Amino acid sequence: MTKVPNLSSQTTSLRSIKFDSSGPPCREEHFTHVYLLLKKRLPFIVMAASCRKVWEMRGACRRFFSVSGFLNCKDGQPAKFKPPPKPVIIDETKPLAAERRFLSPEFIPPRERTHPFKFYLERRDMIQRRKVLNIPEFYVGSILSVTTADPYASGKRSTFVGLCIQRSGKGLGATFILRNIIEGQGVEVCFELYSPLVQEIKLLKLEKRLDDNLMYLRDALPEYSTVDVNMMPVPIPADEVPVNKMKVKMKPRPWSKHWEHPKFNIQGINFDFFLTDEDKKKVEEWSMPWREFDMMIEYDTSKIEKEIWEEVNAELKK
Amino acid sequence: MRLSAAAWISHGRLRRRLGYGPRSRLDLLRNLLTGLVRHERIEAPRARLDEMRFYAEHLIDYAKRGDTDPKAMNMANFWLTEKDLIHKLFKVLAPRFQAHAGNYTRMLQIPNRTTIDRAKMAVIEYKGNPFPPLPIPRRDSGKTLVNQLLKGYKDDVFRTKGAQLQEGHVGTAV
Repeated sequence: MTKVPNLSSQTTSLRSIKFDSSGPPCREEHFTHVYLLLKKRLPFIVMAASCRKVWEMRGACRRFFSVSGFLNCKDGQPAKFKPPPKPVIIDETKPLAAERRFLSPEFIPPRERTHPFKFYLERRDMIQRRKVLNIPEFYVGSILSVTTADPYASGKRSTFVGLCIQRSGKGLGATFILRNIIEGQGVEVCFELYSPLVQEIKLLKLEKRLDDNLMYLRDALPEYSTVDVNMMPVPIPADEVPVNKMKVKMKPRPWSKHWEHPKFNIQGINFDFFLTDEDKKKVEEWSMPWREFDMMIEYDTSKIEKEIWEEVNAELKK
Repeated sequence: MRLSAAAWISHGRLRRRLGYGPRSRLDLLRNLLTGLVRHERIEAPRARLDEMRFYAEHLIDYAKRGDTDPKAMNMANFWLTEKDLIHKLFKVLAPRFQAHAGNYTRMLQIPNRTTIDRAKMAVIEYKGNPFPPLPIPRRDSGKTLVNQLLKGYKDDVFRTKGAQLQEGHVGTAV
C-alpha cells in the first residue's frame, strides 16, 4: 500500500467518496486506480504523500484528546490553517479494468522479405523516442492535438488540432494524418510520429470508428470533420475504447474516389442514399467473393504482436 | 509465399499467374486440390502443383481446427468442389497430421510431358498415404571430390595405425 503514495484529489467519477485521512485508508486497488489515472502528475505525488503522513498522525492522537490545533505548533501558538485534503472519489460500481494491452500498429513489421533485424533496430530507436516523448494510445477517429517545432510561428511552435483520419507507415517512418476544417477550408496535416520536430502529442478524445481509414471525410459534409480548436480533453474510459458507429452524410457525387468499391469496405457511409440501382449492380460486379478464401492473402499477426508487445513493454519499463 | 531467398528469388512476385485471372487461378487450383484430396497422389504441371502446394498444406491447417469451426468449414467448402471429400478432410487427413506441424506434402519432379508440350511435370502426394513409396532420387555422394578425399584420408589413417599397432605389439611383447 505504501508503494503507491500519490493520493491526490484529481479523480472525477462520482460514486463513493473516500478521504485519504480516514483510519485505514482505501483499499490497495483504489490506490492503483488513482495511481494509473494520475501517473503523469508528479508534483502532486510529493504534496499528497506529505499530507497523508500528517493526517495519519492526527488520527492516532484523536483517541485521547483533540490536538489537531497544537500538533504543528510551537509554544502553544496555533498552527497555520491547513485545508483538509480534497476527497478522492472512486467509482466502486465499476470493477477495475486491467490495463489495456495496446501495441501501436507501426511496431508490427510488414509482410516482406526484409531481414527482421532491420525492424528490431528501428524498434529500439522508437522505444528511445517514446521514453522522451509521451505518445498516447490513439486510433483512427480519435481527436489529437499535436505541437511541432516551427521556425516561422510565434514562439517557434505551432499546434494543430484535428481528427485522425489515417495511420500509415511502419517502423520509424510511421505517420498519421490529422484533418480539421479551419475557416471553412479543409486542412490535413501529415505528422511523422517519431519526428524530432514533434514536441507534444495530446489525446483529446479516444475513440474508434467503423473504418480503419477515414479518407472519405474529404467527400463528406464539412461538419463531420470539424473539430473545435479549443477543445477540452475528454476523460479516457478505463476499460474499452468506445466505437463511434456514426454514419456519415456525403456530398453529392462524383467523389474523389469510388468509396462504394468493395476494396475500401467502408462501413461508415450508408450507400443506399447515394447510389442508384445501376451503381449497385456495378458494385456487385466489382466484388471479389473468392478473396476471403485465398489463404495467401492472410497475414496473421497475432503471434508477432504478442512477441513484440512483450519486448517493447520490457524495454519501456527499464 | 516463399519467404526465403534460397528457395526462389521472386523479385517481388508472390505468385504465378495462372488461368484467366485471379478467379480463374483459384478455380484451377481448387480443382487440382480436390483431386489431391481424393487420390492423395496426383501428377500435373510442376508450376501448378507448386502453386497448389501452399493451399494443400494450409487447408490441412484449417482442418485441424475441427469441423465445428465455421471458418474451417467454409474453407473446406470452397476448396473441395466435391462435397463428399469434406468428411474425408476432417475425419481422415486432419487426424493423420495432428502430430505434425506443417510439411504435409511431398513433391517430386518427373520427366517432362511429351504429348502436348514439353512442360515440366511433377508428382505431389499427402504424406502417409497407402501407396507404395515414390522412388526418391538420391545422389551418389561417394563420388564427390570431398568425399573421395575423406575416403583417402581415412584409408591413410587406418594404414598408419595398423603399422603402428604392429610395431607396438612387437615392442610390448619383448
